[in-house]
Amino acid sequence: MALYVIIYIEPSSYLQRPIKIGYPLSDKHIKEDFLGFGLGLRTDHFEHILQHQPDIDWFEILSENYLVAGGKPRYYLEAIAEQYPLVMHGVSMSIGSTDPLDMDYLKALKKLSNDIQPKWISDHICWTSIHGINSHDLLPLPYTEETVKHVAERVRIVQDILGRRILLENVSSYLSYQDSTMDEWDFLSQVAEAADCLILLDINNIYVSARNHHFDPLDYLKKIDPRRVQQFHLAGHSDFGDYVIDTHDHDVSPPVWALYKAALERFGAVSTMIERDANIPEFPALYNELLEAKNIAKLTLPDHPALARSNFGARKLNKASQQTSVVTQHAMQQKLRG
Amino acid sequence: MSRLVEIQQQFMQYLLSDEGNDDHEQIKSVMQANVSNQAGISSDIRLAIYANAYRIRLKETIETDHEMLGLYLGDDLFDKMASDYTRTYPSSEKSLRQFCDALPEFLQQDEFFKQHPIIADLALFERRLLNVFDAADSHRASVSELQALAPEHWPSCCLRFHPSVQIFTCNSNAVEAWQALKIDKAPPAPNYLSPRAWLLWRGESRLTEFTSLSEEQYALLFGFIQGHNFASQCEEMLNWHDEQSAPLMVLQTLNLWFQQGLIRAVVSNSTDFTAPTLGSL
Ligand SMILES: [Fe+2]
Repeated sequence: MALYVIIYIEPSSYLQRPIKIGYPLSDKHIKEDFLGFGLGLRTDHFEHILQHQPDIDWFEILSENYLVAGGKPRYYLEAIAEQYPLVMHGVSMSIGSTDPLDMDYLKALKKLSNDIQPKWISDHICWTSIHGINSHDLLPLPYTEETVKHVAERVRIVQDILGRRILLENVSSYLSYQDSTMDEWDFLSQVAEAADCLILLDINNIYVSARNHHFDPLDYLKKIDPRRVQQFHLAGHSDFGDYVIDTHDHDVSPPVWALYKAALERFGAVSTMIERDANIPEFPALYNELLEAKNIAKLTLPDHPALARSNFGARKLNKASQQTSVVTQHAMQQKLRG
Repeated sequence: MSRLVEIQQQFMQYLLSDEGNDDHEQIKSVMQANVSNQAGISSDIRLAIYANAYRIRLKETIETDHEMLGLYLGDDLFDKMASDYTRTYPSSEKSLRQFCDALPEFLQQDEFFKQHPIIADLALFERRLLNVFDAADSHRASVSELQALAPEHWPSCCLRFHPSVQIFTCNSNAVEAWQALKIDKAPPAPNYLSPRAWLLWRGESRLTEFTSLSEEQYALLFGFIQGHNFASQCEEMLNWHDEQSAPLMVLQTLNLWFQQGLIRAVVSNSTDFTAPTLGSL
C-alpha cells in the first residue's frame, strides 16, 4: 500500500507573500508599485530642484555620473535623494558583451545603490565594450538563441549580485544583422522570461527603430508581457526622413506621444519619465512636457486608481485639463492600428 | 569562436578604424557582411551612423572636459587632437569622466603637439580642476585642533590634507593662458621662463579654487603633503627666513590653510603616528 503524505502549509503568511531569496522569485506580481511621473536628473537643474522643490514624483539618475568619490555631484545627489524617490539608470553594464562581467563596476553600482536606495536599477539590452574597450554606445545584438542564452545568464548573475531584479531597456538601432533569427520584441521577451528580469520600454526607441527597420511599432507593444514592464522612457529624436536618430535633444514628437497612448492602453499605468540629454531647456519647460504625459495618461486611463496616487502637477493639471493642450489633443485623436 | 564574439570584434574594429588606416576598407567590408540589406538606407550609411556617433561622443567629451584647451587650439587643431587622441587612446573606462585622463600624456608624447609644451600643461591643469571637482568629501580640521595640542607635541605634528587638495607645477604660463581664455581675452604668448606652482582645492562652499604658490609656499606645502613634521618644515623655511621669522611664517600659513579648509586632520606622533616596525614591513 502506498503511503501518501499530505503536507499542509499554513496559508495565511506563506502563500500571500512572495518568498524572498534576494529578490522575489517567480511570483505573479513581480513589479514595483507605480511611481508616477519623473524626469532625468540633470546637472543643469540641481539648483532649481533644491530651491523650488517641484512636485515631480521621482527622478532617474545616470549611474555612471555618480560613480565618483564626492564633490558637487554627490552632494546634490544626496540632497535630492532625501526629498525624492530615485531610480538608477546605467549605460555601461554591457550585458550583451562577450567580455567577462565587470565585477568592479557591479560593486560600484551596488555601493551607489546602498547609498541612495533607488527604487530600481536599469541598463540596456545591448553591448558597449569588447576586449576591455568601451564604445560608449549602445550597440545592437544579433537576435539569436545563442544571444538570448548568453544575455539571460549574465542578467541572472547581475541580479544575484545586486540582490534584486534589474530592468532592461530596448535601444534605438540603425542596423540589423544577417544572423538574427527573430524579431527584436521576441528577443527582448525571451531574455526577460529566461532571466526573470523586468523591462524598461523606451517608447521613443521603439518608434525610432520601427522607422529605421520598417516594422509596425504596435507589433512591438503587443508582444511584450505587461507583467514585466516596470517603466517607460519618453524622449525626442532627430528625423532625417530616410532614417531617425535617437538624439534626446528635442521635445517628444507627436508620433511618439501617440505611441505612448497606445502603450498606456496595453500596459496600464506604468512609471513614466522624459529623458533629455542635449539642448537641455530650463526646468519649467521639461516640467510642462511631463504634464502632457500625465494628461494623456489621465485621458487614456480615466479613473485609474494608480494615477490618482501621483502628486505631480496636481494643481496645474486641474487647471490645464479644462483646456487640453494641442499635443495632448493630437495624441488622443491618433488611432494607431496594427 | 562564437558568432557573437566574432560580430562584436568586427564591429569594434570597424568603430576604431578610420580613413587613416591602410586596411580601413577591408575592415569595413568584413563588418558590412554582417549587416542585413534593408529598405530605406544602405548598410554603408547604417554603419556610418555608428562610426559618427562613436567619434562625436568622444570629441564632445574632450570639449566638455577641456573647454579652454579647445579655445586655445581653435577648431582645426582641436579636431586634429581629438581624432589623433581617440585613435591612440580608445576608452577602457566605464565612465566618460575618465576618457581624457591620458590626454596630457598624449600631448607630451605626440610628435606634433609636443613642440608646444604649453598645450600639454593646459590639458593637465584642466584634469587637475576636474579632480578637485569630484574628489571625495571629508571632515575639515580647524585651527583649534592644533591649538589643543600640548606644546611639546607641536614639533612632531604632521598634517593630513583634504582629498581635493592638488598641486600643479609647470614650466609654461599655461594657467595664465587659461585665466585669460576664461574671461574671453586673448591668451599671452607662451613663455617657459621659470617653473611655476599652483595649489588647487575645493573649499567649504564646494567651489573649485586655485592660487599661485611662491617657491617657499610650495616647499612648505609639498613637505607637509609628503608627511614631514612641523619642526622639519620650520627648518626648511630657514632657506628663506631667519630663525625667528621661520616658525612665524609656518604658523601664519597654517592658519590660512585651516581657514581655506585645506586640512583634514592634525596628527601628532604620540596620538596617531606609529613608526613601522620591521615586523610590519
Ligand atoms: Fe531610454
